[in-house]
Amino acid sequence: MKSKSGLKSADVSFSLDLTERDVNRRRVNRVMTRVIQLSALLAVIPLIGIVLVVASNGLPGLSLEFLTNSPTDQPRGILNAIQGSLIMTFVALLASAPIGIGGGIYLHEYASERTMRVGELVIDVMLGVPSILAGLFAYFALVPIIGHSGWAAAISLTVLMIPVVMRTTQEVLRLVPVGLREASLALGVPRWKTTIFITCRTAISGILTGIVLAISRGLGETAPLLLTSQSSNDTVLDLGSRMNSMTVTIFTWAGSPDPQFVTQAWTTALVLFTMALVLNVLVRFKTINSRVL
Amino acid sequence: MSLKSSSKVAPRKSASARASTPGQRESEVAMQMKDVEAMYGSFRAVNRVSLDVMSRSVTAFIGPSGCGKTTLLRTLNRMHETTPNASVKGTIEVNGINLYGENVDPVRVRRSIGMVFQKPNPFPAMSIEGNVSSGLRLAGETNKANVAEIVEQSLRRAALWDEVKDKLKEPGLSLSGGQQQRLCIARAIAVEPEIVLMDEPCSALDPLATLKIEELIRDLKDRFTIIIVTHNMQQAARVSDTTAFFNMGDDKGGYLVETGPTAKIFTKPSNKMTEDYIEGRFG
Repeated sequence: MKSKSGLKSADVSFSLDLTERDVNRRRVNRVMTRVIQLSALLAVIPLIGIVLVVASNGLPGLSLEFLTNSPTDQPRGILNAIQGSLIMTFVALLASAPIGIGGGIYLHEYASERTMRVGELVIDVMLGVPSILAGLFAYFALVPIIGHSGWAAAISLTVLMIPVVMRTTQEVLRLVPVGLREASLALGVPRWKTTIFITCRTAISGILTGIVLAISRGLGETAPLLLTSQSSNDTVLDLGSRMNSMTVTIFTWAGSPDPQFVTQAWTTALVLFTMALVLNVLVRFKTINSRVL
Repeated sequence: MSLKSSSKVAPRKSASARASTPGQRESEVAMQMKDVEAMYGSFRAVNRVSLDVMSRSVTAFIGPSGCGKTTLLRTLNRMHETTPNASVKGTIEVNGINLYGENVDPVRVRRSIGMVFQKPNPFPAMSIEGNVSSGLRLAGETNKANVAEIVEQSLRRAALWDEVKDKLKEPGLSLSGGQQQRLCIARAIAVEPEIVLMDEPCSALDPLATLKIEELIRDLKDRFTIIIVTHNMQQAARVSDTTAFFNMGDDKGGYLVETGPTAKIFTKPSNKMTEDYIEGRFG
């Protein structure tokens, strides 16, 4: 019997039985889930692979003396390399963090639409600068003036670290809901205080992550250091002269015909890797409770 | 109330001293709007509005969507101009001072005229007491005892103290929607504004929470002048003393159709359009 709208009553029947379409849909669901899981696994495998390879090759060389001696002591150690890497990276951070955070805040909160687009383009280009170029820049512009030194290295690292902090800061500030800024302004809080105490405070875990990413990058760079701070066998704590670093040590020892050097290159890599890992984990723990974004 | 950029923040009196301060009296005009227009670029969202708001009363702005009620509300505490290309014409006078006069600092205006938004927006990075005291602390108040006293007083006034007094250090977001909105109200009144603006404060809340807030508004008007924008006509009828009805004109901008005592507007409005809106014939 036809209803007023012309439909036969059978066309509008309602049933919850499984049809063939449902079965197919479920099958596709299962397949796609497996594909996605597999992709995630494949992405993690190289990381696990690296950890295993570095650990297995590097652990034999690891000892307390290795961490506390210099390359000229017996047995060889990488203390001056660790010191050098840390000093140069953290000096670079002293410049990169304020500039990066300030720049990120400016681009997000104060810049016009056009300035923001240009700024983002510039940051993207800077992020893509090969580290050897940063090193070349320091080599030709700074080394003639201040010589092969930790300062030259720190400056080239700064060039590489600023865009990391700036980009991350800008991205997390974007995630802070506009309503928070409005609520703060409506309370009669001046704009600069709103930016620092409300917006940035909400985004702080993201900003700290940006800083940790920059530190990881700084600790892990080799090319700029080869051209600037080069290396040294002495304990050098003053940035005015050549300094040793973990990455240059790895580079130098890995190519050695002596297998002991090679093992110790692996060990240095292990130490470097562990440092970056611990730093990341620490920041995550400290900010996990205030993670609002 | 001093709004000049050059004046410093007045020293805070303790809660007990403030309680006995006379402040505004009823039957005084708290705010006078004269030919107020609000623009987004060249588009006029609000056409010449002139309206007086009596102190320690609740005034409701009602009208269909898009007729400029929220835009007008945001001009009252100089929030409208925080939108790029937005501008305001006309004068808005509070205590004889034009809020848009030269030398008037918008930050000081916003400290004296508070706002509660449609969607509750407590600061996620702060605890409950941190939220309530945020306006004070960011204005430079450092006396801890004073702050604690004001936090308790504001939470009591917002009818939230009993529910949160044991968990003041918990994050602001751990509360329910209705509680969060009362927290935002507590935060707004903690800085002791003279006027509190509310932009559809209950539209994101369930009916029970809505009723609690309406009760709260009735209590708050003993100390504060309240202007509330609402889509809900019954709410306006329940809660306000004066109602202003707005409508959208042919130029897509809003204008004030009629204003008057709530009872009169809802029973015997002077304007046919008002009557049609109240009866639900449009909007």
